[in-house]
Amino acid sequence: MIQWWRPSSGQRGRKDTWQVTCHVCEAINRVDVEFCHQCRAPLALSYAAERNAAAPHLLAVAGPPGAGKTVYLGMLTDQLARHRGPLQILVRGAYSVTLQQACMSALARRRFPETTCGEPESWNWVHCEVSGAVRGRALEVVMPDISGESLRCEIERPHTYRVIRAFLSRCHAAMILVDTDALERGDESQGVWAVKFVNYLVELDPKRKATWAQRPTAVVFTKSDCNEVCQEDPEKYASERVPGFYRVCRERLHNCAFFAVTVAAASVEVESQGEIIPIALRVEPHGVGEPFAWITQRLAKHAR
Amino acid sequence: MSRSPVGRADQPAAGDAGSSARCEAVVDNESLVGQLLTEGRYAWLQRPQVAGDLAAHQKRRAFELLQAAMSLVPAGDVLVQPWLLEALEDHSHWAFAARRLTMDAVYLDRYPVTNREFHRFVTAGGYGQKSLWHPTIWERVTEFVDRSRVPGPRGWKEGTFSNETAQHPVTGVNWFEADAYARWIGKRLPTDAEWVKAAAWPVVIDGDELIQRRFPWGDILDYRRANLWSSGPGHVVPVTDYPEGASVGGVHQLIGNVWEWTSGGLAAAASNARVRLNRPLKSIRGGAFDTYFDSQVGCQLQSGDCPFARRGNIGFRCALSACDVASHLSGEDRRG
Repeated sequence: MIQWWRPSSGQRGRKDTWQVTCHVCEAINRVDVEFCHQCRAPLALSYAAERNAAAPHLLAVAGPPGAGKTVYLGMLTDQLARHRGPLQILVRGAYSVTLQQACMSALARRRFPETTCGEPESWNWVHCEVSGAVRGRALEVVMPDISGESLRCEIERPHTYRVIRAFLSRCHAAMILVDTDALERGDESQGVWAVKFVNYLVELDPKRKATWAQRPTAVVFTKSDCNEVCQEDPEKYASERVPGFYRVCRERLHNCAFFAVTVAAASVEVESQGEIIPIALRVEPHGVGEPFAWITQRLAKHAR
Repeated sequence: MSRSPVGRADQPAAGDAGSSARCEAVVDNESLVGQLLTEGRYAWLQRPQVAGDLAAHQKRRAFELLQAAMSLVPAGDVLVQPWLLEALEDHSHWAFAARRLTMDAVYLDRYPVTNREFHRFVTAGGYGQKSLWHPTIWERVTEFVDRSRVPGPRGWKEGTFSNETAQHPVTGVNWFEADAYARWIGKRLPTDAEWVKAAAWPVVIDGDELIQRRFPWGDILDYRRANLWSSGPGHVVPVTDYPEGASVGGVHQLIGNVWEWTSGGLAAAASNARVRLNRPLKSIRGGAFDTYFDSQVGCQLQSGDCPFARRGNIGFRCALSACDVASHLSGEDRRG
């Protein structure tokens, strides 16, 4: 017997067992489609959310192109799924394994995963059950691997990508990834991008009860192995290296913390016949679970 | 009292010629020989030009120390796999091939250099002896300081280590610090081929074919034999842990715990590929406690890092050419 979505009271739109409400943007969709017609989020998330008593928490992993969002998400899911440490995850749905599989298979060969495509249909979404954040309480979390290029477009020209806007509006928490290696090479656009993103967040929906100022936001310095100060004291690093961004975080995000993360230590580029291929010389994850643990602890406490 | 070459700016580097006059002065001095032996610098006394002037008991003691601390890797051929092979296997237009190299016999430290051993170098003023350091980086040696801004490995404080880490491999040292230590102790860093031969222990069959092990203990990755992300406690452990992981020749912890600097660089291995680096990289081998993938450890696997990198998961061990060991040349080690 096919158990389609069953409408619950208070949900918007026509209530029909042959329709499904998008978990991200709340648009009504036919059951025979894979992605939401409005925001392009996968409807599998909606089925999964409907099956569980508690609605999943939406967690945004944002950063400029090349900041390491895909690698971070892939490593996070793989590491926590391998049962190291108190925090563990149980991945839900085959679609949630795709990102982990693609990322790990590339890194194991010392390669980096393909850049996330700009088309929302091709984004990977991770839906998992998190245990260990708060004793005796499991948490459902959904994290999409949003294309950095699409995110940049949406911030520059709001409403370009409905899925991004809808997702960030409904998000319970966010991780803002900043590329430490790029910063150390003098790329000031990292800080500028981060300031724009924070401003975009806080201006998304001022009428909402829980504004972005109160939601947990982790600033994550990726590729942090290139700077000792960043590894040892990421907040100090932020205040010294990206002071404008740090000030914006402190003034506009009241529930914010700073973290340093490394996945691939040392990388080189190989060039042949005009083709340039980045190579990850070795994979040594450090600090990957910390920002996630910090966020999920806050979400779990809030959900009580 | 004759002037000691030990700990002086005019001390020759390992392998330097023309030091016999100074060495003669050393061997006349019983206390100095005793000091060299106490500091673990027996390698200086093994040099053919020095050993001839030693008393029998001094020679015997130096040889005993060498045998206890180092393993002989016999001369022969070894296959060394290009480091890019697994990364670019889908690029068939790049030509990769394992290189077959012929090596002379070499002694290799049985264990990575420990914090306690490196401390002797620090207290002997190794960071202030110009002759131990590459001339090009001498001006930067003052930057090689610990947490309290005193010369020493990055993780130390006030020029020393914490008591519980005495037997841990020294980490937080860059390639130049490892090289300077090796010179001070009378040895050198191993080449990549020497390291691979000690670990993979090649055996010749059918006249010319070489069979090598994937891991020092065999061809299967056994988590009980190495400190890796999948199996270990998540931090560096003493060098004497995981004894089951030793190689055929009795060299411990070649796989896992800490990466090890070798003397070589990370260069392009394919004839038609060019490795574009924004800075030169030195070779490291063996994997560490935080090496995530099983596919990234093994006798053949090579990685690299900036020669100035002072990471908490890179250490080193030293080598000594058999031709620099008097007792090897006289056949004493083989009889022993």
